[in-house]
Amino acid sequence: MKELDQTFYDELITPAGKARAGCGTIHKWISRQNFESWSTYSAAAELAVREMGISYTLYSEGENIDRAWPFDVVPRLIPSRQWKKVSEGIKQRARALNLFIEDVYNKQAILRDKVVPASLVLESPNFREQCIGISPKHAAWATIIGMDLIRDESGQIYVLEDNMRIPSGVAYMIENRELTKRILPEIFENHSVLPVDDYISALYETLVSISRTKSKKRPNVVVLTPGIYNSAYFEHAFLARGMGSELVEGEDLFVKNEEVFMRSVAGPIKVDVIYRRVDEDYLDPEAFNKDSMLGVSGLMRAWRKGNVAIANAPGSGVADDKAIYAYVPDIIRYYLREKPLIKNVKTFQCWKPEELEYVLENISDLVVKPVNQSGGYGILIGPQSDTQEHKRFSALLQQNPRDYIAQPTLSLSTIPTISNGEPAPRHLDLRPFVLSGRKTWVTSGGLTRVALKEGSLIVNSSQGGGSKDTWVVE
Amino acid sequence: MLSRVAERLYWLARYLERAESTARLISIYNHLIMDIPKGSEPSWMILVDILEARQTFEGRYNAATEQNVHRFLIERAEERSSIPHSILRAYENVRTTRDALPQEAWEYISELRIYVLEHSKQSLARSKRLAFLNEIVQRCQTITGLFHSSLSRDEVYSFLKIGKLVERADMGIRITDVGAQDIIDREGVFKSIDQLLWAALLEALSAKSAYRRMKGPVIDRQNVIELIFQAEDFPRSLTYCTRELRVELMRLPNSEASLKKVHKILRILKSYDASHGVYLHEFNINLQKLLRELGISFSKTWFQRGVF
Repeated sequence: MKELDQTFYDELITPAGKARAGCGTIHKWISRQNFESWSTYSAAAELAVREMGISYTLYSEGENIDRAWPFDVVPRLIPSRQWKKVSEGIKQRARALNLFIEDVYNKQAILRDKVVPASLVLESPNFREQCIGISPKHAAWATIIGMDLIRDESGQIYVLEDNMRIPSGVAYMIENRELTKRILPEIFENHSVLPVDDYISALYETLVSISRTKSKKRPNVVVLTPGIYNSAYFEHAFLARGMGSELVEGEDLFVKNEEVFMRSVAGPIKVDVIYRRVDEDYLDPEAFNKDSMLGVSGLMRAWRKGNVAIANAPGSGVADDKAIYAYVPDIIRYYLREKPLIKNVKTFQCWKPEELEYVLENISDLVVKPVNQSGGYGILIGPQSDTQEHKRFSALLQQNPRDYIAQPTLSLSTIPTISNGEPAPRHLDLRPFVLSGRKTWVTSGGLTRVALKEGSLIVNSSQGGGSKDTWVVE
Repeated sequence: MLSRVAERLYWLARYLERAESTARLISIYNHLIMDIPKGSEPSWMILVDILEARQTFEGRYNAATEQNVHRFLIERAEERSSIPHSILRAYENVRTTRDALPQEAWEYISELRIYVLEHSKQSLARSKRLAFLNEIVQRCQTITGLFHSSLSRDEVYSFLKIGKLVERADMGIRITDVGAQDIIDREGVFKSIDQLLWAALLEALSAKSAYRRMKGPVIDRQNVIELIFQAEDFPRSLTYCTRELRVELMRLPNSEASLKKVHKILRILKSYDASHGVYLHEFNINLQKLLRELGISFSKTWFQRGVF
């Protein structure tokens, strides 16, 4: 195995070259492999991915390409005791964020108390006037959150992002486990690993719990997809199938008397809960983007009336603004009167003149992110860019400081990942999923995303990232 | 089941069946032309007429040459009557319903699409044409066979089957209408090739061996028409297709209006007297009209959007 770069924290191996707690068996197994066996494992993984039809869709050169899901066979292990603490922190954060959204669309106490600047919220494009005065059942606004966690060189875990709009990846988390069981059954059996496929029933129960339908019948839950051209269509179909729900497109639904129906061969059927994977802007041409072909006219009226539940609720994006991110620790303290259990990454808010000044002076050391984009797009990684890029971003920052935040470049932790037939350290993050309905529920572990290129910090699959199975082990 | 999914499955099956029967039709016709003595050959335009595309064809080409007709039907994906057009439409419909279908359906149709796109241009020459058409027939049958052997008999299967049956009946009527009419028009003029023509018509409907078993080796008009319209056990006869349609319709919700149409078609088929070949064209026109109405009834009952 290649020498570890000691400036990073490795998830499996200590700086002394020993296995971390709980990782002994895996460490020994890795050291027993050679070029041939790694190649055999990787080939088996590729074949299984193809056979199971695990894919994601990339839009490139005017064509949609179904790509096989990139999976690395070496699992990532997290001791269950450590995970217990982290998952408490995740739940705490999800509870606080939902209370925050409920508050800003209703009493706005946190703004009056000046804990979060009112202008930052009210002037944000993510603050939807159509949501004012609405209170979903259980105050479940961001019903599904996919938080991105990272670990720095000291081993400290941070939340890097709270993805609260339409986070994806959970189907791949479940499929990665299936792949492991197929490819490494002996190793897997030697560990006591918490299951991940209970997510689907937890999701279903959560969605049922936010239904406002009075009737005693099982509520009709549907998954709303933008269609086959969406990069996460595989996941939409996977979740719908798993829950036994219909996978609908906008044209399958219609609103009559402020109730939502789906068109079926047996006639219209009432819809009670919509798990929407359509971006808010396209959800209802009547309320948002008028040209949307993906949405359902009148959906917002039905939702406001309380006749249909939507997950995530429209307007949830207000808490997913990276400018709000900096205030999440304050938000936790404000609503829960608790100490935040997971740290935030230090964040410079460019709308504050003194912080903007610091960012401009230190741009070559910082990561600059647009506040309103996801998927790793539009980001500047200072240390990995040239002066021309620094200048371009400096100009952008000065033009629209509210649109950007900056963070120190983190030394993301690494993990042995197979590259050219041998394990080499690659940077990774972790996306656990947290469900908020009648109860708050977190996945055991989550989706581990790993950068496949040496030194790269970008783990997004749309940009060449891969993934690993994540084991929470006793 | 969602109306959108039902509609896509129905059209998937129709396009698949259409591609297969068009390929078979062109192939048989090519064989026929080779068998007929020089000077007596029927026109290549019969193929275009069966597919009801004369107007479009004449808008594109100056002459009804062998080359032009094959270009029109084999090469041009943008022509609605062409094989590539049907395959591409079938592909799009599988792509958008693949969750309802067996995994292999997606693989097979993707391979078929690639095969057609890569080979249709080089398959215009007589030497390659027949191999290409044969490949299309086989691959379409593989997919249809996959549905038949692996789908559970639920609504997915019913809509696929209905699409296949409607398309099959439609093509049967078209081939009989144009083909039989052409033969009848020539009757007496080229008496010696009559048998050959009727045999080709049977083959185009993949009915030749069934005919031999049921009616013996001598091929005549009355028996051919009886088989195509009225045979109860032959899966490509109109009576058989319509009866199977009735079976599927009875399993589906709200099918009363469509069932009425099906019963009407069955009555008309039964009443036809094949012994005096007159009115064959009027009869075909009437059947086609009823079949169209049946399609409209499906779409009103199950597919239509924006009604509510």
